[in-house]
This record gives sequence, C-alpha cells and structure tokens, in this order.
Amino acid sequence: MNPMLLSCLILAMLAAAAPAAAQRVTLERESPLYAEPRLDASQVTQLSQGASGEVIGKQGGWLNLKTPGGTGWLFSFNVRFPSQNAGGSEAGSGSALGRVFSPRLNVTSTIGIRGLDEEDLKQASFNAGQMKLLDDYATSKQTAEERSRAAGLAPVKVDYLDAKK
Amino acid sequence: MTSQFKSWLAFAAIAIVSGTAVAASLDLGRIFGAGKDLATAATGMDEKDEIAVGREVAGRTLGAAPLVADPALQAYVNRVGRWVASQTERPDLPWHFGVIDSAAINAFAAPGGYVLITRGLYEILDSEAQLAGVLGHEIGHIVQRHHIAVMQKSAAISAGAQLAQARDRSYLVNNMIGTGAEVFARGLDKSAEFEADQIGVVLAARAGYSPFGLVEVLHKLSARGGEDASLALLFKTHPHPGERLTQLGQALAPRAAALPSGKEPPIRSVSAAVPPPAAARPVPAEGARALQQEEASPAPRPAGKSGLAIDPGSVLRGIFGR
Repeated sequence: MNPMLLSCLILAMLAAAAPAAAQRVTLERESPLYAEPRLDASQVTQLSQGASGEVIGKQGGWLNLKTPGGTGWLFSFNVRFPSQNAGGSEAGSGSALGRVFSPRLNVTSTIGIRGLDEEDLKQASFNAGQMKLLDDYATSKQTAEERSRAAGLAPVKVDYLDAKK
Repeated sequence: MTSQFKSWLAFAAIAIVSGTAVAASLDLGRIFGAGKDLATAATGMDEKDEIAVGREVAGRTLGAAPLVADPALQAYVNRVGRWVASQTERPDLPWHFGVIDSAAINAFAAPGGYVLITRGLYEILDSEAQLAGVLGHEIGHIVQRHHIAVMQKSAAISAGAQLAQARDRSYLVNNMIGTGAEVFARGLDKSAEFEADQIGVVLAARAGYSPFGLVEVLHKLSARGGEDASLALLFKTHPHPGERLTQLGQALAPRAAALPSGKEPPIRSVSAAVPPPAAARPVPAEGARALQQEEASPAPRPAGKSGLAIDPGSVLRGIFGR
C-alpha cells in the first residue's frame, strides 16, 4: 500500500478512535512519553509523578497523551483517571473514561442500585434447575478451542509475570 | 482465597449448617497440638471434593440470582472462559461459566471451576479482551486454589478436613463450607487478589487477547469508586482498584514491552429481548442509612447463634473474586 495512503488511513483510524472530548489523567508514577506506542521509540519527554495530560487516543495497553511537554504514548497503568462525575445517572455512557475505553453504550447504571445482597443469598437454596442450565451451557475444551481459533484467536506462550509461579 | 468466595461460603454455611455446632465448639489446640502441620491435616481435600464444594456454592448462588435468560450469551461466555481456562495448568477441570441476573458489579470464583459474573459487571465491559481479563482473574483464583490455601491455614478448617476423613462426601462438603465461614468472614490477605490480577493478564495474553483488558476494567472500577455507595463500601474493605492498578503496573512494567499486543474483539451484547436485571432496584433510603452506619462502625463481627460470623454486606464487596 502507498505509504501516504497508509498514513492517512492510520490517521483516520486514530481520529475515529479518539475520544470526543479529551480526558485529563494524572501520572501515578513517573514515566517516559514515547513518540510511538513502543518502548524502543524515541522519548518525547519524561513525565514525573503527579503530572497530568489529556488522553487523545488508545492503542492496546497504550494511551496517547497530550502534555505541555509534548504529545506521545505511555502505558495506561501509569496513569489514573479521575472519579467519574455521573451525578447519579448513567455511569458509563457519558463519562470521559467511557469515551476512552468504551465506544459501546453502557446500559446498566449501578449508581444507587444494589442487587444480590447478603439477604438474597442467605435465603437462597440450591437451584437444581439453574444448575442444570449452567451444566448445559458449559463448553468442552475442544469446542472452545475450535470456536476461538475460528474467531482468529491463537494461543501464545507467555510466562507468568512472577517467574516463581 | 477470594473474599467473594468467602461471602459465598458464608451464606451457604447459613443455609446448610445453620444451627449446627461447628468448629467453634472444638478445642483445636488440643486436637492438633502446637506446631502440628495444619496444612497437612487439610490435604484430605482432593479435586473431587473441591469440585463438590464449588458446585454446592454455585448452585446456591444461582438460587439467589439466576442465569440471564440468553442462551447465546451464556454459550459465548463459556466459549471465552473455557478457552482462557485451557491456557492454565488445570485445563481439564469441569469449567463452568455463567452470567447471573444481577445489577451488582461483581464476579465470583468457587472451587473446582465455577465462575459467575454479574450482568452489572458484564455490561460495563466493552471488549472480549476485557471479559477475558476478568474471567482470567477468577480462573486464577481457582487454579491457584486460593480458597483451599486459606482453608489450610485455618485450624477450624483443618478440623473440618479431619472430620472429613469420614467417607461421606456430603458430610465433608458441609463441614468444609460450615467451618469455612467463620475464618472467611475475617478478611483475607490482599496478595491473592494481586496475584489473580497478574494471572488474569497473562491468561488473556495466552489466549490471544490484549493483555491489558483487565487493566482497563480496573481503571473503570477505580473511576467509579467515589460514586456508588455500595462500591464505596467495597473499596473501603478491600484493595481499591487503584491499589490493584498500582500493584499490577509494578508487575507489568518490566514485562509490558515483551507482551504480545493481542486482539480486542468486540464483546457480545446481552440480547435486547432480555429485561433488565430483576435485582436492579434503587437502594431505599433506609438501606443507604444502614450502609452509612456500617461504614461508620467497621469491624464488629459478632458470632451468630450458629457460631458463624457473617461479614455484613460482604457479598457486595467482591469485585473479581473479592
């Protein structure tokens, strides 16, 4: 593909993925800001703990951040989003966080809602009919693998983060 | 051990062994003697027993919140969950996955391969990678036998396990559940949750998904914290999602660059034909006051008549198995 066309496409995709309004986040720990979402990319700047920036995009575990020192990428676990200001209504749909992570409308608000509380559970008895359903819905290892591979998922060898495990 | 499993055991214990004398009446020191390896005493619980306990707990939970009446959704979650579980060291457990009809944001792991996620949590997810991360966390608890590990640390549970040397399996199950409740009501170390987070990330990556789905979910939960009264209580008594993000970030930082980027397929929506969760109801003003009072006076957990101490509201506190 023509590199120019590819660039345009990527820019278009980024624009489509970008949140409608920038979301301000705060650095939980210091982190370099990279020119691209790769650790071997050049560093735009070094952000210190407590610094803030505006999220203008997301790619995998990376956030694209606009800061006074420049615009670049860092891993999302390095930042914290502010508490949502849902005002007691739809918690997910209108939030800036939702715009970053959730293109899908979140239909269930849990603000002021509780369900499945202790009393419900205390009074519950074993539901054989539901258990039968749970059994019926279970999938075999082989079927799950076939369907996952058909969906384009392939297993990858990844060690546990803690090598001791 | 997950505290949600704690919660489940707690309620199951009420249902199953209410009024019966349990370990509280035993002089455990005399039975085991100082220095005796209590873990050894508990190793009488094999995989079949583990599954039997989990099945009982799962079945009672379904009695409280049934499965969402959407067979295609349930099949989908089983496909994803079973595929993620197949990437573990326990691929041949009888893994079961279900979405239960509750607006609460929660997920549960019971021993032996039973994983339930509430519709409330499911509906704040927006990719299959996030679902894989959440299920991976629960699967991690089961694979690591966190619940069993806590049982083994407990003298009361060890007593139950020793009683369980009786041949009757249901007797064993009842004792494991019954004696489990008291110790489970005391709060558990956070390390099991942090560990399950790390496992969830890796299992999702192994299954071909973006490893960062769980991180995104923790961001969502962290940002919701101050808003929801019941979640605020949950956050108060358990590791805050922000703390989990910190721990997970520290573990991920040196490895993040080497992790595969993975896929982020769209997640299946709950069928529009399914009505909202039956349990979705506003908290009455009374309930809100009760929550505030509970928050104002933490920790008192008087033993009930059965000798089981129940952690009020604990069921609501579990996120990802907490």
